[in-house]
Amino acid sequence: MTFSLAGIFSVLSNAIQPFLVLILTILAVLVAVQFTARIRSYRTKAHQYMPAMIVALLVGASSVWWLPLLTHSQLAFVTTAIDWLALIAAALGVALLVWLVLHPLSYLIRGPR
Amino acid sequence: MSRFTLSPPSLGRRQLLKLGLGASAASLLPLSSVFANTLSTKARIVILGGGAAGMSMANRLARRLSGATITVVEPRELHHYQPGWTLVASGVWEAERTLQPNAKFRPAGIEWVQGQAAGIDAGQRRITLADSSTLDYDVLVVATGLQLNYQLIDGMSPDLIGSNGIGSVYASLDAARRTRDAIDAWLAEGGGKGIFTSPQTAIKCAGAPIKMTFTTLSRIKAEGVRDHFNLDYFTGGGGMFSQPWINDFLKQRFDRENITRHHSQYLSAIDAGAKQAQFTSKDGSTEVRDYDFIHVVPPMSAPDFVKDSDLIAQSGAFQGEWLDTDIHTLQHNRYPEVFGIGDVIGAPINKTAASVKAQAPVVEANILAYLQEKPLPARHNGYTSCPLITDIGKAMLVEFGYDNNMEFLPSFSFIDPKEESWSAWVLKDYLLQPAYYAMLEGRV
Ligand SMILES: Cc1cc2nc3c(=O)[nH]c(=O)nc-3n(C[C@H](O)[C@H](O)[C@H](O)COP(=O)(O)OP(=O)(O)OC[C@H]3O[C@@H](n4cnc5c(N)ncnc54)[C@H](O)[C@@H]3O)c2cc1C
Repeated sequence: MTFSLAGIFSVLSNAIQPFLVLILTILAVLVAVQFTARIRSYRTKAHQYMPAMIVALLVGASSVWWLPLLTHSQLAFVTTAIDWLALIAAALGVALLVWLVLHPLSYLIRGPR
Repeated sequence: MSRFTLSPPSLGRRQLLKLGLGASAASLLPLSSVFANTLSTKARIVILGGGAAGMSMANRLARRLSGATITVVEPRELHHYQPGWTLVASGVWEAERTLQPNAKFRPAGIEWVQGQAAGIDAGQRRITLADSSTLDYDVLVVATGLQLNYQLIDGMSPDLIGSNGIGSVYASLDAARRTRDAIDAWLAEGGGKGIFTSPQTAIKCAGAPIKMTFTTLSRIKAEGVRDHFNLDYFTGGGGMFSQPWINDFLKQRFDRENITRHHSQYLSAIDAGAKQAQFTSKDGSTEVRDYDFIHVVPPMSAPDFVKDSDLIAQSGAFQGEWLDTDIHTLQHNRYPEVFGIGDVIGAPINKTAASVKAQAPVVEANILAYLQEKPLPARHNGYTSCPLITDIGKAMLVEFGYDNNMEFLPSFSFIDPKEESWSAWVLKDYLLQPAYYAMLEGRV
């Protein structure tokens, strides 16, 4: 099976269409929080706030359980190496996303640390 | 001499490289398809059916031919994503998820006749429509899909689906919805006898009767009441599946799950009121069974108007039932200006949308060669695919072809066709439908 560039674009655009509102909402929150914090002098490395990291890791870890549920499946059916690779990559993505929102948010709420 | 001329490519390699697309495009695609020529022709091309196969061909030919008259005959306004119907009937998808307007996929510059073909005069190269008007062609693409022959089961009619414990995912989207309701009602009874059937003929998506068995079993197990339900599977064929490894796997899995298998016995009659089904064996003997729920899969064939034409197979395994095409070139065996694609053709396997995906470029290339009076360059290897759902939440991505004893032909080297996985399920649940729509647009 080969895909043209237009084909890949067509498959991806069709695939994300049902989730477009959700994806755009998450992106909007991410951009809004990062932007607001940065214009108030937030710098990722300069700001220290451990709870943001802990919550991000907890949400990421829990997503190993709820991501399969979101796909009408269950963790027990995640069995092959590819399944685990895909699930761990997705969980890391979730953790990173949560941290990228919570970390600047903590700066905005609690001020520089 | 050929009546048709090739015009130069519209976007040359140098232009692509200038745009920075050359390298990436070349790594994804065979060069022939990147730098494809358009063919200038006055040919009248008629495509019968605008479903998976017909719509793909309309898009492909519209892109490759300039000056041709391309006419698609299709009665429906809405396009149905049929592979989603098993998920609708299993309660996983909402029905609406499988519907799109045909207009979304229709290429510009073709003629769309919203009507039904009623006859084919292959000698005169003429199609008669249901309203008695006619269409003449130089090239005909038969893509009508197949016909569901519920009437061959005594006492059965699609109207019965959803009542009296009768389900049948094949009849329509509404039937898939009513099948889901019938299964819900049966599960609510808390126990009983369930019968799943597969007929004695070739069928589209040969995995669907098995998927319906597994998804229903999955729902029974989720309720924790497996012991209260008896499950039987009757198949008109000798085996469960045409791919030998999968056939053995399924036999073992059915036995492990306590689903009693009955081979070479097909559903011949049904008494909906009495909830009884009659099965006929190869030797003609019959057996009557009681059921609380039955999943009916009807015998299938080419549509009657194709069967009544000279295009139908005159001998061999597909005689009188399926379109007479060469299974590799997909050209008609007796009428070289006729090509077949999709469910309607006589082929040992291949009644899937996945097969259409593999057949469409072959038919496109061979029609272009035919128009230029060149030897047909492309061959179909029988590729077909069945995302075999073995439980709600896991599946096997079974891809194979009819060469080399139904050898596996995996598209993704990292997904083992012999393994049940969450990834294959996610592909079925989320990615195959977008890939299918890209296929309709002629882009896969
Ligand atoms: C329940 C179910 C589950 C399936 N699961 C899968 C799966 O998991 N994977 C997979 O790959 N495939 C699956 N399929 C099979 C797949 O949908 C078909 O193989 C595919 O749609 C075949 O394409 P086609 O164009 O030949 O037929 P269709 O898509 O059925 O299109 C035929 C078209 O011809 C039109 N037509 C009919 N008669 C006439 C006439 N007289 N004049 C003009 N037009 C006419 C019809 O209106 C229709 O639009 C499934 C099918 C079903 C029903």
